[in-house]
Amino acid sequence: MERNIALIALFAALIAALGIIPAVMLPFGVPITAQSLGVMLCGTVLGAKRGALAVLLFLLLVCLGLPLLSGGKGGLGVLVGPTGGFVIGFPVAAFVAGFVTERWRNAPLALSAGVAAAVGGVVLYAFGIVGMAIVLDKTLAQAALLVTAFIPGDAIKAVIAGLVTSALYRARPRAVLSRARPAA
Amino acid sequence: MGGWTLAQPLALNNISLALEGRAILHGITLHGDQRRIGIVGRNGSGKSTLARVIAGLQAPDSGEVRLFGVDVARDRKAAIRTVGILFQNPDHQIIFPTVDEEIAFGLTQLGRSKSEAAAGVRAILEEFGKAHWAGAAVHPLSQGQKQLLCLMAILAMRPRLIVLDEPLAGLDIPTRMQLTRYLDGVDAHLLHISHDPATLVGYDRVIWIADGRIVGDGAARDVLAEFTADMERLGGMDDISDLAG
Amino acid sequence: MISLTSPVETWAHGWRAGAKLGALCLATMGLFVLNSVPGQGAAFAVMLALYAAPGAVFFRSGIVRLRILWPFLLVILLWHLVTATPAEGAEIALRLVTAVGLANLVTMTTRLSDMIGVVRWLAAPLRRIGIQTRALELGIALVIRFTPMLAAKGAALSRAWRARSPRRPGWRIVLPFTLIAIDDAEHVAEALKARGGI
Repeated sequence: MERNIALIALFAALIAALGIIPAVMLPFGVPITAQSLGVMLCGTVLGAKRGALAVLLFLLLVCLGLPLLSGGKGGLGVLVGPTGGFVIGFPVAAFVAGFVTERWRNAPLALSAGVAAAVGGVVLYAFGIVGMAIVLDKTLAQAALLVTAFIPGDAIKAVIAGLVTSALYRARPRAVLSRARPAA
Repeated sequence: MGGWTLAQPLALNNISLALEGRAILHGITLHGDQRRIGIVGRNGSGKSTLARVIAGLQAPDSGEVRLFGVDVARDRKAAIRTVGILFQNPDHQIIFPTVDEEIAFGLTQLGRSKSEAAAGVRAILEEFGKAHWAGAAVHPLSQGQKQLLCLMAILAMRPRLIVLDEPLAGLDIPTRMQLTRYLDGVDAHLLHISHDPATLVGYDRVIWIADGRIVGDGAARDVLAEFTADMERLGGMDDISDLAG
Repeated sequence: MISLTSPVETWAHGWRAGAKLGALCLATMGLFVLNSVPGQGAAFAVMLALYAAPGAVFFRSGIVRLRILWPFLLVILLWHLVTATPAEGAEIALRLVTAVGLANLVTMTTRLSDMIGVVRWLAAPLRRIGIQTRALELGIALVIRFTPMLAAKGAALSRAWRARSPRRPGWRIVLPFTLIAIDDAEHVAEALKARGGI
């Protein structure tokens, strides 16, 4: 119990910290914020339920007024901004990524977690596009067009999430709850 | 079955423990009623693991730990009234973002109400002349201040024994001296684990641990002298090149 | 950095957290429906006045916390210069600063235990149907405690990287960073257990 809470809380803090440290540089020199990577890792590492709880905990603190979203955004305002759909989609994306990682076990973890993060990313964009369409009063297609520029970065992040999850499993097998055997 | 009054402060019976397939502690038996007991050993000797076993945080594979008659690994409710532990790194210990929340946590864990806990926080801060720390954030505190906060948080719970897992390591000399003075004034029994013999001078009894076994036990002066001589001998060698396993 | 309760005691420290959060919620919503530059300017001025009221130290530490917004303001500025809609740009920029400023203000003047009290109150219906909410309160405290610590360790990690590399840290730094979080979690679990667990 203590361990689960500690892992959920520290992964929530990890999402926040990933939004604070300088943007990570991708190959080809494209800067990205690592925060959504943190959201995907919550799912692929902690599994569906605990991963979603970690992201929900993070969002609760954002709503309490702490500027934990990357760039120092916070407060209830982020929910009603143009990217609010993405924020609301975060826990769902983590849940889906965790669900896929937990269920798809007969593949190397780097592959299943990478695909899981990509599926989670699709869910995230669905929420994000709907939110943007509502807030900016655009059609879904127009809203989708506005976010296409970010898709390559997020595709790369899905690959990274897969690689990092698999490396974590080698380094700390007990902490990768999405693959840990259920406690007897 | 010893009664409460007769129960020994410290009773370890044949403790063995392996972690991740590596044997760390081998049949440690240790009884004591001294108020200041030191445990000395090199890094990796198993003394930190022993500290966790004594504090009841890690159940041994075999054997039993009883502090003042309490089975600290199994009876956690009684354990937190009996034993507190001060870790080497205060950042591994502090759970809450402000000083009073950190101290109040242990008190509410003992079943105190919110107002009783607040009174307890004030009392311990005043006892240490740190009333002005109330409400301060933890993050900007210095390492020594954080360590003192950890000590106050433990003392507020009035445990009968406090396990110190190298809390002085890494502190500068004045901070170490100040913290030592606070520790010397503590009423509870202390079990102080250290790799540095200088911190255990004046203790009632010192136990030397090597490779998960007790290799020395007796008056502080004798054990520390033997330990120091052996450490200086090893210092002339090159066992730093040996890999584990 | 994460805005914890300000060590400068203000009059607002004594106000009910629920009332402050409710007011913040209303103010934030108000900012988003308010479509006028003078209106946003006025809200911005009120926010500044609230920061100034407790004194210079409080004001300065509050403003420092808002500086992290500058890249967004820059983007807004460029965007609205290009699209020739400066009024809209000013409105969005003012709203952004005011909204974050007000949120920070509540955080700076509200003790964590009071914040958690509000969450407790909101979670009361859950407790009534038998769901444990103590873990939730603990989780909140842990995130607030460990976010600045993790951020500092992440910065140390980037420094260690740059000390031996001519380039900025790549994505590979995410792995050791996540390992730090996992190891911290194990330590916290132990610290919780040492004081009675959950």
